[in-house]
Amino acid sequence: MTIILDQASKSFGSVEVLRALSLEVKPGEFLVLLGASGSGKTTALRMIAGLESVTSGRILIGSRDVTNVLPKNRDVAMVFQSYALYPHKTVFENIAYPLTVRKRPKAEIEKSVRDVAQQVQLDHLLERYPRQLSGGQRQRVALARAIVRRPSAFLMDEPLSNLDAKLRGHMRAELKHMQHELGITTIYVTHDQIEAMTLAHRVAILERGVLQQLDTPANIYNRPANLFVAGFIGSPPMNVLEGSLTDGRFDCSAGSFGTASRASGRAVVAGLRPEDGRLAAPGQGKLTGEIYASELIGDHTLVTCRCGDATVTVKADKDFAGSIGQPIGIGFEERAVHLFDKASGERLQ
Amino acid sequence: MSVLKRLTEPKSLDTMSPLGAVLVYGGLILWSLVVLFPLYWIAITSLKLPIHVSAGPVYLPFVDFLPDLHAWRYIFVDLGNDTLRPYLNSIVVALVSTMLAMLIGSMAAYALSRLEFAPRLASILLFILLGAVMIVAVAGFGVPWWIAAVVALALFLLLARAAGRTMRASLGNGDILFWIISQRILPPVVAALPIYVMFQTLGMLDTRTALIATYTTVNLPIVVWLMYDFFVTIPKDLEESASLDGASRFAIFFGIVLPLARPGLVATGLLVLILAWNEYLLALFLSSANAQTMPVLVAAQNATRGPQWWYMSVLILLMILPVIFLTLLLQRFIAKGMLLGAVKG
Repeated sequence: MTIILDQASKSFGSVEVLRALSLEVKPGEFLVLLGASGSGKTTALRMIAGLESVTSGRILIGSRDVTNVLPKNRDVAMVFQSYALYPHKTVFENIAYPLTVRKRPKAEIEKSVRDVAQQVQLDHLLERYPRQLSGGQRQRVALARAIVRRPSAFLMDEPLSNLDAKLRGHMRAELKHMQHELGITTIYVTHDQIEAMTLAHRVAILERGVLQQLDTPANIYNRPANLFVAGFIGSPPMNVLEGSLTDGRFDCSAGSFGTASRASGRAVVAGLRPEDGRLAAPGQGKLTGEIYASELIGDHTLVTCRCGDATVTVKADKDFAGSIGQPIGIGFEERAVHLFDKASGERLQ
Repeated sequence: MSVLKRLTEPKSLDTMSPLGAVLVYGGLILWSLVVLFPLYWIAITSLKLPIHVSAGPVYLPFVDFLPDLHAWRYIFVDLGNDTLRPYLNSIVVALVSTMLAMLIGSMAAYALSRLEFAPRLASILLFILLGAVMIVAVAGFGVPWWIAAVVALALFLLLARAAGRTMRASLGNGDILFWIISQRILPPVVAALPIYVMFQTLGMLDTRTALIATYTTVNLPIVVWLMYDFFVTIPKDLEESASLDGASRFAIFFGIVLPLARPGLVATGLLVLILAWNEYLLALFLSSANAQTMPVLVAAQNATRGPQWWYMSVLILLMILPVIFLTLLLQRFIAKGMLLGAVKG
């Protein structure tokens, strides 16, 4: 089922939280709303669920305008960050709740719940209470409850953020597999870029209520639309150098080099991802500087260099042995450089 | 080790020091005696002959006096129906008024905890003004009350919007809550006479209905006050999840919120029940023969010959025992950890 936000805006009093957000989620797509705290991503999700009203704009699920429809009539299921399990009901009753509340026949409820429980591997825990379950088990109960009535869409509000790192990785794979099997349109809110990159078909990046870029994870990584996206995605973050561009040649305090573009601009920011940089001898790189710090991560070394008044981090081999203060050069390919207009932050074409 | 150190230092981390133990247990035993002795005294007074009651310190049955069941026989047999009727009245009035107050009060508390109210100050002032004008018109100028009411209502509906536009100040949930609580701060004795006149006009004096209505009204603020605090602690996530799952507001209230607020409901319910059970002043005003309740009956044992302690003791025991029993029964519902497992963190 397609979900469309058409110029949806939300203000709480005088505070504008979401500004004219327009996006279309295709049927069966896994869309991730990515952003920092206060970016408006949870508000957007709650507006689709019907838990927040819309100040202006429309929300459509399928071809239905649901902007003013009550949450219970929108046919969407939500998994909350806190799981929101009913503590006075058993796991079975929790999963069955969406069906019992709609007065489905008992036999149908029994079968549906047992099927779903088996799918999320909870079939041996059906008589327990939420307080007797671990975090991962509770999360699976919340998922099962969302799946059991085959809604038109799943809405997930940071469901993995309360799990420890190892379990999170495991559940990510489970979620991806489950969504692929069920084929239900899913909108997933997170601040974790790894979750966004690994789970999403497309990512919508929000910052202060404004959509920054809506694209596949690969495109967001390789062709960020503006400085914010460039700095938000990628760990360690993209290196930024401020300077000017003349017919495709970039000049800054760290050095001067050619780029793949033929544009000009007085205030331009060049971006370089750490993995695109290569350490070289001092005179042989496009940038010259000295080593500021060197950190062995395990499979690679992060070398931070001071070049002019800029700091550039490069991913080097794990066997790299350099000392602090050692002069160094940094080389890279012309097409690895991203160029942005300094004033607007937009990507230069 | 010196004697003082041995007395004041505990033997292990989990125990008290010997001196501490003596002081604590001594204090507890003393206080238990202070609390339990009156009950014991009432119990033996109910078994004493009048002469023993006024004979001075007479505390031990079979040692100081011979227990006699004359008081019990009088209350139960001779006065059978005259004891049963107030007892039944007390039970009915207390139970019904408690249930009504709990039902209405918890729904009000829930609304205050979940919905945003913003009554305009202008509307409230207009309402009060029109009410005052109506009273003056009916009392001072002899206008029939129903004409005055209709006119006042019509004026209110017409002017409320306009008034709201001129004076934009509005109150919030906190103000409404405080206003409700302030109703209970008012001493009931202040309102006793107007309530009496009201029921007299309606011809409802000495009826159980009048008592039930009055007790419900008087105890409603307490229910709202206490249940509001309990509802606020229930995570909104649970209700949002239920509403997305398809539940209506009432289904959420009765199926999810109330079961989770059970400790609060039991505690508040017991408190309100005890208040209604022991209420004396309004019962005295509003009842005479048919709707008489136990507290009034107990006080009525104060006859011209002086207080008849023996009969009073029997009645007091009859009054206290059900409440003690009920509290012991319901204590297990006031349990901790009702919300464990609902939400993380």
